Amino acid sequence: MYGWIWNHLPGPFAVRLVLALALVAGAVSLLMFVVFPWAEPLLPFNNVTTEQ
Amino acid sequence: MGTVEHIGRGAGRISGDLGDLIPSPRPRARPPAPSKDPVRTAVRTFGEVLITLGIVVLLFVVYEVYWTDVISAGKQKDATTALDDKWQQEREEHFTGLGEGDGFAKMYIPAFGADYHFTIVEGTTAASLEIGPGHYTQTAYPGQSGNFAVAGHRVGKGAPFNDINLINSCDAIVVETADNWFVYRALPKEEEKAGWAEGRGSEAQCKGVSVLGGPYENVIGQQIVPPTDGSVIAPVPGSDVVPSAGEQAALMTLTTCHPRFSDKERLIVHAVLVKQWQKDPGKQGWTPPEMKETA
Repeated sequence: MYGWIWNHLPGPFAVRLVLALALVAGAVSLLMFVVFPWAEPLLPFNNVTTEQ
Repeated sequence: MGTVEHIGRGAGRISGDLGDLIPSPRPRARPPAPSKDPVRTAVRTFGEVLITLGIVVLLFVVYEVYWTDVISAGKQKDATTALDDKWQQEREEHFTGLGEGDGFAKMYIPAFGADYHFTIVEGTTAASLEIGPGHYTQTAYPGQSGNFAVAGHRVGKGAPFNDINLINSCDAIVVETADNWFVYRALPKEEEKAGWAEGRGSEAQCKGVSVLGGPYENVIGQQIVPPTDGSVIAPVPGSDVVPSAGEQAALMTLTTCHPRFSDKERLIVHAVLVKQWQKDPGKQGWTPPEMKETA
């Protein structure tokens, strides 16, 4: 999977490295800003109120 | 004959391999391309997916424990600034017209250090609790008789109530509003109730804190309840008795999740109002003496 992505990135090594880091950064921010905030209320970690 | 030819080819290959070991101007042959064996590819991809999922779970921990703190710190700061601006403009106390997420009071627990302060916002929705401790909308407001109940996160999102299990009986919870300081003190714990008046209750810090009687006799400083127990924020915690307004004690209740990192139960702290200091507009920056009770 990662090998396949690496082989499909264009350009010389330095360009590929920059593109790969950009992909990682994009994936992490997608998780941090979209996926985790959405998933968090569905998980049994942090409910602090009592039922009213 | 075929055997002879075979040996001959083999010999040639061996000599060629040996030749590769000594430096030679000939370009070296590239290693053979990795085989396109589908089983190999499938196993490797499966392994990579597992590693990726593990990293995602670790990232979630970072998000939950650290990242939400960063986000909430910004929101808490904005709420505090907005509240300070509001207090600059109007100094009379009213708790009407508060919208979900609006700050209306500040809370301090001096025993947790001088830097422990949070702006309490209206409402207990997820969005409000991300800003700071949230007031259960249908309960009393600071200083009023009844039960001023506040929920707060224990892990992440600023974790305002991370350590409320460490609140001892008689520890002050100071609530600042537009023109008052209200001093609440944690009630005796279950094991301290017997002999309170002669024991801990006789200490100077515990002035005004007593074992409550009447409908309040089961209310203690700290308890752990199932999440379904909404009665802890009732005017008389743990009871559906509602005394007339004049007979209600002025209590404060904090709720958070328990144990840490789980929402299996709720940790509840009950405190009672012992003192009110009216703010003097002439003395800006004055704080009540209870604020100096740092442990």
